[in-house]
Amino acid sequence: MGSLDSYLPIFFMVVLGIAFASLSFGASKLLAPQRPTSAKEAPYECGIVPTHEPARRFPVRFYLVAMIFVVVDIEVIFLFPWAVDSQSLGRFGLVEILVFAASVFVPFIYLVANGALDWGPIKRVRPVESQPDRTSSSTVRHVGPPNDQAA
Amino acid sequence: MKLLAVLTIVTPHVNYVAILPELILIGGALLLLVSGQLVFAKIPTAFYSIGSGAIAAAALVASLVIWHDVQARGPFTTIADSVAVDGFAIVFLVLVSCILILASAIANDFLVREGIDGPEYHVLALLAGSGAMLMAAANDLILIFVALEIMSIPLYILAGMDSRRRESGEAAIKYFVLGAFSSAIFVYGIALVYGATGSTNLPQIASYLNTNIITSNGVLLAGLGLLLVGFGFKVSAVPFHMWTPDVYQGAPTPATGFMTALAKAGGFAALLRVFFSTFGVLRTDWQPLLWAIAIVTLLLGAILGLVQRDVKRMLAYSSINHAGFILVGLAAATSQGISGSVYYVFVYAILVLGSFAVITLVGGKGDENHDLDAYRGLGRRQPVLAFAFALLLLGQTGIPLTTGFLAKLYVITAAVRAHSYALAVIAMLSAAIAAAFYLRLVFLMYGVKLPVGSGGDEGALSLPVTGEPDDGLDPTGSVPTGVNIGRVVVPVPTAVAIFVTVAVTVVFGIWPGPLVDFVHAAHFLF
Amino acid sequence: MLRVAFLIPLLPLAGFVILLLSGRKLGNPLAGWLATIMVAASFVVTVVVFAGLFRLPAGGRSYTQNWFTWISAGHLHVNMGLLVDPLSMTMAAFVTGVSALIHLYSIGYMEHDEDFPKFFLYLNLFVAAMLLLVLANNFLLLFLGWEGVGVCSYFLIGFWFERDTASSAAKKAMIFNRIGDAAFLVALFLIYERTGSLDYHTVFSHLGSVGEPSLVAMGVLLFAGAVGKSAQIPLYPWLADAMEGPTPVSALIHAATMVTAGVYLMCRINPILYRAPDAAHVIAIIGAVTALLGATIACAQNDIKKILAYSTISQLGYMFLAAGIGAYDAAIFLMLTHAFYKALLFLGAGSVIHAMNDDQDVKTMGALARLMPITAVTFFIGWLSIGGLPVFSGFWSKGDVLLNGYGFSPALWVVGALTAVLTAYYLGRAYLLVFRGQQRWVEARKPGDRAGLKPHDPSWVMSVPLIVLGALSAVGGLINLPIHPDLDFLDRWLSPVFASRLFQHHWGLGGVWTFALIDAALALLGVALAVALWGHASERPAFEPVVLQRAWYIDWAYDRFIARPSTEVAIETSSVVEAKGIDGAVNGFAWLVRSTARHLRKVQTGYVRNYALGLAGGLVLVLAYVLTRAS
Repeated sequence: MGSLDSYLPIFFMVVLGIAFASLSFGASKLLAPQRPTSAKEAPYECGIVPTHEPARRFPVRFYLVAMIFVVVDIEVIFLFPWAVDSQSLGRFGLVEILVFAASVFVPFIYLVANGALDWGPIKRVRPVESQPDRTSSSTVRHVGPPNDQAA
Repeated sequence: MKLLAVLTIVTPHVNYVAILPELILIGGALLLLVSGQLVFAKIPTAFYSIGSGAIAAAALVASLVIWHDVQARGPFTTIADSVAVDGFAIVFLVLVSCILILASAIANDFLVREGIDGPEYHVLALLAGSGAMLMAAANDLILIFVALEIMSIPLYILAGMDSRRRESGEAAIKYFVLGAFSSAIFVYGIALVYGATGSTNLPQIASYLNTNIITSNGVLLAGLGLLLVGFGFKVSAVPFHMWTPDVYQGAPTPATGFMTALAKAGGFAALLRVFFSTFGVLRTDWQPLLWAIAIVTLLLGAILGLVQRDVKRMLAYSSINHAGFILVGLAAATSQGISGSVYYVFVYAILVLGSFAVITLVGGKGDENHDLDAYRGLGRRQPVLAFAFALLLLGQTGIPLTTGFLAKLYVITAAVRAHSYALAVIAMLSAAIAAAFYLRLVFLMYGVKLPVGSGGDEGALSLPVTGEPDDGLDPTGSVPTGVNIGRVVVPVPTAVAIFVTVAVTVVFGIWPGPLVDFVHAAHFLF
Repeated sequence: MLRVAFLIPLLPLAGFVILLLSGRKLGNPLAGWLATIMVAASFVVTVVVFAGLFRLPAGGRSYTQNWFTWISAGHLHVNMGLLVDPLSMTMAAFVTGVSALIHLYSIGYMEHDEDFPKFFLYLNLFVAAMLLLVLANNFLLLFLGWEGVGVCSYFLIGFWFERDTASSAAKKAMIFNRIGDAAFLVALFLIYERTGSLDYHTVFSHLGSVGEPSLVAMGVLLFAGAVGKSAQIPLYPWLADAMEGPTPVSALIHAATMVTAGVYLMCRINPILYRAPDAAHVIAIIGAVTALLGATIACAQNDIKKILAYSTISQLGYMFLAAGIGAYDAAIFLMLTHAFYKALLFLGAGSVIHAMNDDQDVKTMGALARLMPITAVTFFIGWLSIGGLPVFSGFWSKGDVLLNGYGFSPALWVVGALTAVLTAYYLGRAYLLVFRGQQRWVEARKPGDRAGLKPHDPSWVMSVPLIVLGALSAVGGLINLPIHPDLDFLDRWLSPVFASRLFQHHWGLGGVWTFALIDAALALLGVALAVALWGHASERPAFEPVVLQRAWYIDWAYDRFIARPSTEVAIETSSVVEAKGIDGAVNGFAWLVRSTARHLRKVQTGYVRNYALGLAGGLVLVLAYVLTRAS
């Protein structure tokens, strides 16, 4: 056997991956109904024609969740080979994988406790410091004739 | 399936005691991270600081236990030969533990002053510390790389911890981008070395090199060169130093001190081990390279340090100069030179921690009062603080009766013994140039009239919009606006930390025996 | 009992530390009492250790107490350690004893001084350093004490530094001492180089393998160090100027203890001198010449403290004479008795100066005996004692030196005898001028200056030391009576240390008695001369020639031919060589560095892309180099 033989499974994996991706895209292209109208193609369906490309702002939270996903994903990637060989790895493997899982889990607690997964309005962690120079007369602008205020 | 079935997996034996300091730091960091999250009340910063200090102290105790073990039974390796437990590693374990203890005291007061809550700072510091320890103990190029990343990534974040200062974030990004670049180069170096020698394990590489004559060593040497670039970046050797001033200036000041001490310790530990112990056979190949790098590092650090107005920036160039000195010991490529370098790293780490602790205090709330003028007359206003700072600066200058003098003496002696007279002369010359900016600061504090106006900093952190190099924000050299000459608040923990660093510098400067003996125990395993 | 030896230097050091921290708070007179008690306690400990040592058999009277390794660098190992042997304990006993008395005296003497606590701070530091010097078990630690006493001497001479004369006297003392110290250091280098150690025991046991030229060099260099510290020719002029310090300082440092450190050193290195007779000859000759020179100058001085200072120089010469001819026990004996009577004389002088409103000129004193009986009687005892009148301590100690001197070379004896006559004479002159004759101070100087002056004996804190020292001066000779072989206690006590004597002479009792009679005659001759000349006169220009008043013009010559030309050279160097040459080079270099920096800093743009480029550029350079090495 040539030395390249050991790369055979990888080659098959690559082929399979490409095939799966193109199959999925191809299938949706073929199977989904295609009836585009100009209104459907517009970014906003409210009818107002945009004058320029809108700025795309993602909340930072989005990245955070993505990062957390990646971390947990990596954990799973490590768990798979261990699961496959857990018998031959024995107690050593179990200990190591538990240590690994624990050290991923602990930061996860930290993230949850810090509200990384709270999707929605941000809760105020720190109360707004009271500023003595901000009073109702200095912050609220009264509209109308000044007489109203006098009365 | 057939492929998997034939593999029998040999699980390595793990001596948990041998990696106990690292485990304590990582475990402690994780504990610290969640400990505050499980209760709803706001936990005072002091809790985290004390916790961090205690964890570091536990690591110190563990290091000493291993030390005792090694004394009794001799050095050994563990986890499939990837971790070396020898005198060399333990000296650095002890050093890193001490750095962590001191740094948590200094950081505490900074965090309280700046109102930065939460355990993150300390957790990151502990994790970076574990990385530095692993770098010193790593006996395998792969592990060195992993340790390098464990150390570096928390340092990137620490540089950006002060989210209220734009410079802090800028420093973090610069450090991270360039750091990632250098890490990539480092990994490539590992790959080439593996390709040339068939192993990433340091002793195996060494024995391969000893028993085989490589007819075509281009790949090996290229790999070695790339490794040198990766290390050179971490220890800020010229020409891989350019991030240093910007990051030092931008990072929160206690983080700067910590980063300097830790990155120098970890970086040099691995550098010394890999180059001297593993690739010692090839010394005729790498010695000229290190010789050249040492010279430019020494001179550039000293020369550019002269024209800085920002104290943090000045000390950044000073740290480059010091890196040059440590390289002088390695360039000698003798065991005496290595001892000198290790002693230098030890001494410098303590000195720089103390120096940046003082700068943290003088920086004041907002961490922005770092102009030289902030030190004008400090000797009159706060004599004790100024005296401590002066001693630390004199230690960095290398004045006799400080540890800094002995450190310089050892590496230069090693260079002379190795017949690299030019290097020794240039090292001394650079020390003389560098003395100018240390002493200028001392004179400023004690009100000796000196012309300070040498132009401003490069202003690199002010993001020049024109793209032109900003050569001197303030060519007149007058007192820039915004320099606050008020009374510097000195909280007790930082004061204690500064006292310890000064005491180490002076006591072991006068009575060098114990520290020298300890560092002389830094033998490599093989 | 020997174990407490470490307390001996530590107690005064503790006193120093306490005074340093809270001297101002303790104030006057508490600070003085504290310092005195510390030194007195040190004396008590010394006595205890002394007794402990005494109980050991004569051969085993040596005990080393190592505290810790002070320096360990390469082959050089130096311990912080004390050597307790008969010599060091004898020294420690008299140093602490005399110091305690002088501390007590100072409480009264410095009563009105603003810097009262500071004075005692320096005194305590001095005592600690002096004890370190005598108790050290190696040369380096001895040198530490040596420098320590030197620096205290500097501080104390310049204690009233606002007076120009005092501060320049302090500088002069420092400079003269530095010359000697430089030689001392070279000697240490040589000793280490030749024997590989600085520890007394090790050094002395390795001397056999050292060549004689080296040994002579060691001996002469160490003696050069001693010459500076103990004010011998040619480095003696500082001691006369050192009288600018407060009188207790003159008594303690510049008469009783510090200046005798050189003699102690010579005695300590007796194994070296034993193997280097040439060095010993140099010591003896210089000692003899200094003794005569000091005595002649003392004959014509008018300042009471200068008389005593030159007398000290002369007496130290005597001690070196003894040490040089190998009569170490005689040297130590003379050192002890000298410490008693010279401290007594200085303290008496201080008492007189106090009474005279800080005037020191003997010509304007007179007839104080009735007004200050205690001072007068004790000063009288001091005179007879230093003059060598029979029964008084000086008689025995000086007799011992002269006896040994004759045995070595009659020429030395002649010089010594002449000095003895002069000694009895010049102190007689001083005594008579101060305490007898007319009350010249009544009409002296400006009218009104001393109108209300009523000289009287000082308070008890000052009188007690006078009385104690007076008693010791009178009977101190008892510790070493040569007239009977069983009575020379000191000789036998010290003999284990001085086993290696260069010259040994045994005189029968007849010889001893003969010399004793001659000595007595010489002393009486001096006394008679003094009484005849100065009993009823206060001015005799014939006996006070200008050449002696100006101290043989030696100080003037130093100033004219060494100090001034060196100053000229220094000024020239600083204005021409330094300003133009060296400064020019330094400034030029600084300019070069700065302009380099100005260009280099432009690289530091602040852009990550440029930094990455720099990194990549470095990488390319490294790889380019590697290519040249690749095979």
